[in-house]
Amino acid sequence: MSTPIVSVHELKVHFPIRSGIMGRVTDHVRAVDGVSFDLMPGKTVAIVGESGSGKSTTGYAVMGMQEPTEGQILIDGHDRARMSRSERMATMRRLQIVFQDPVSALNPRMSAADSIAEPLQIHGVGTARDRRIRVQKLLDLVGLPRSAGGKLPREFSGGQKQRIVIARALALDPQAVICDEAVSALDVSIQSQILNLFLDLQSELGLAYIFISHDLSVVRHIADDILVMRAGKVVEQGPTDDIFSTPRHEYTRQLLAAVPRL
Amino acid sequence: MMSVPRETQAQTPVLSCTDLRIEIGGNPVVDGTSLSIAAGETLALVGESGCGKSMTALGLIRLLPDAAHLSGGQISLQGERIDQLSERQMNRLRGNRLAMIFQEPVASLDPLMPVGRQIAEALSRNDTLTSTEVRTRVLDMLTRVGIDRPEIRARQYPFQLSGGMCQRVMIAMAMIRQPILLIADEPTTALDVTIQKQILELMADLRRETGSAVLLITHDMGVVSESANRVAVMYAGRIVETGSVAQVFARPGHPYTAMLLRTIPRLDGPRKQALPAIAGAVPDIRDWPSGCRFHPRCPLATDHCRAKAPPLASVGVSHETACWHHDRVATELT
Repeated sequence: MSTPIVSVHELKVHFPIRSGIMGRVTDHVRAVDGVSFDLMPGKTVAIVGESGSGKSTTGYAVMGMQEPTEGQILIDGHDRARMSRSERMATMRRLQIVFQDPVSALNPRMSAADSIAEPLQIHGVGTARDRRIRVQKLLDLVGLPRSAGGKLPREFSGGQKQRIVIARALALDPQAVICDEAVSALDVSIQSQILNLFLDLQSELGLAYIFISHDLSVVRHIADDILVMRAGKVVEQGPTDDIFSTPRHEYTRQLLAAVPRL
Repeated sequence: MMSVPRETQAQTPVLSCTDLRIEIGGNPVVDGTSLSIAAGETLALVGESGCGKSMTALGLIRLLPDAAHLSGGQISLQGERIDQLSERQMNRLRGNRLAMIFQEPVASLDPLMPVGRQIAEALSRNDTLTSTEVRTRVLDMLTRVGIDRPEIRARQYPFQLSGGMCQRVMIAMAMIRQPILLIADEPTTALDVTIQKQILELMADLRRETGSAVLLITHDMGVVSESANRVAVMYAGRIVETGSVAQVFARPGHPYTAMLLRTIPRLDGPRKQALPAIAGAVPDIRDWPSGCRFHPRCPLATDHCRAKAPPLASVGVSHETACWHHDRVATELT
């Protein structure tokens, strides 16, 4: 069996609550309280839950944007906590993240091509000419015309902006992308276009996803495995089909019952 | 309540508008919308961002933002024209017979006033109740919207309540005057699914109890299917289809409705397969396509569609659609 791209063991992220004039730590918010899962190459693990469940914090910890309080995060079998600075930089190339709101994720004064090329520049990949060619390939990959490269974010619709953000996330050829509510802000007719793009990219590039979402219909469509989180804890986890056909935990059943049916 | 005989009440819609037009900077954001809502009925106005659904709602109660203005059409409340009323008359109407709730309950409440007092304010605007009567009715209303320990909650400020609870407070404020019409603009979009279910059920209960008409603005077809009787689908400033929820969902007559219903992932649909997507993007207000505004994204479009906008035409019992090729929708798009 191959090594998981991401392996999370008993992850805990606790935030201190300070009170009084001395700002003494009086308690902790257990935002993530013992989460474990493996992400295999080419697969999708979804984390679902309501606001405050800790699903996004889990994603940030995997991404290295949030220091874990306890637990281990292995990237390609290597413990992130024991990595040198340069090793951390290298893992950043393997893992990328796409957020909910493409408007705030893009610099309004930077052309689409410059935004997409930025990670290549930061990591010193290729010559300027190589980067230009790479940007054109990325535009093709996410279904934007090559002429889009010269335009500013405001010239694009919401769905097109999210395509630019996805192209940028793919610039460094990552093995996995964390999608944090990546289709939630999009219109219904655009949401399915982007979901199709995620599925296409997965089969073309062998990408793995950690798909963080509150939307159970979307998650069911795209994920192989699901973690259901509530108040920092995983209440149920397993293959998508099992979770939806025979939910074991009462909370999973409540969530499923609350989804409006078409 | 008003002393309208029962039959008249049943026949005259609570609210109706014909050929409503709203412009922003010379661009028609709402372009000839006609609607009517009967007492005790929920009409869902559904569409994507920028289609004009919220502007329609704001236009109906004349609360448009400064940049927008009503440029045509008639609006009637219980048979009386209200589109020509003065701001003062309109204000009285909004306090007495109309109520509105919005997507962001926390932003709609005054952060510096206890929620109980805010509900009392809604009540005491025109009435002459004693403070004890007001207090009793506020606490009753809080209980009815499902808030535990109302005496304690009434003294709390919005930041001390969850989003779901703030929306219950908004509903309490809206319903305490027993409005004949409640306009709810994406009332559950910012809430978690379990809370959404509770709020939609609460709105349905109150509608049944008070006989209010509800205009529900939403982008969520699931919400439409679970909580509305009738639906009007908007696209690029126009209503493209309207009818009972059962009819429209079972036999959509407009390509946009049909494709929208197919493109949404379902809990009982296939997994990990390409969804039947609608190509292209929602058009911009400043650049609306000619003829039928859906034609650039429509697989059934012909030259006729590009040249001439189709009118809403009947395709069944109180089921209308604006499509030149509605007879092909069922076989080719569902």
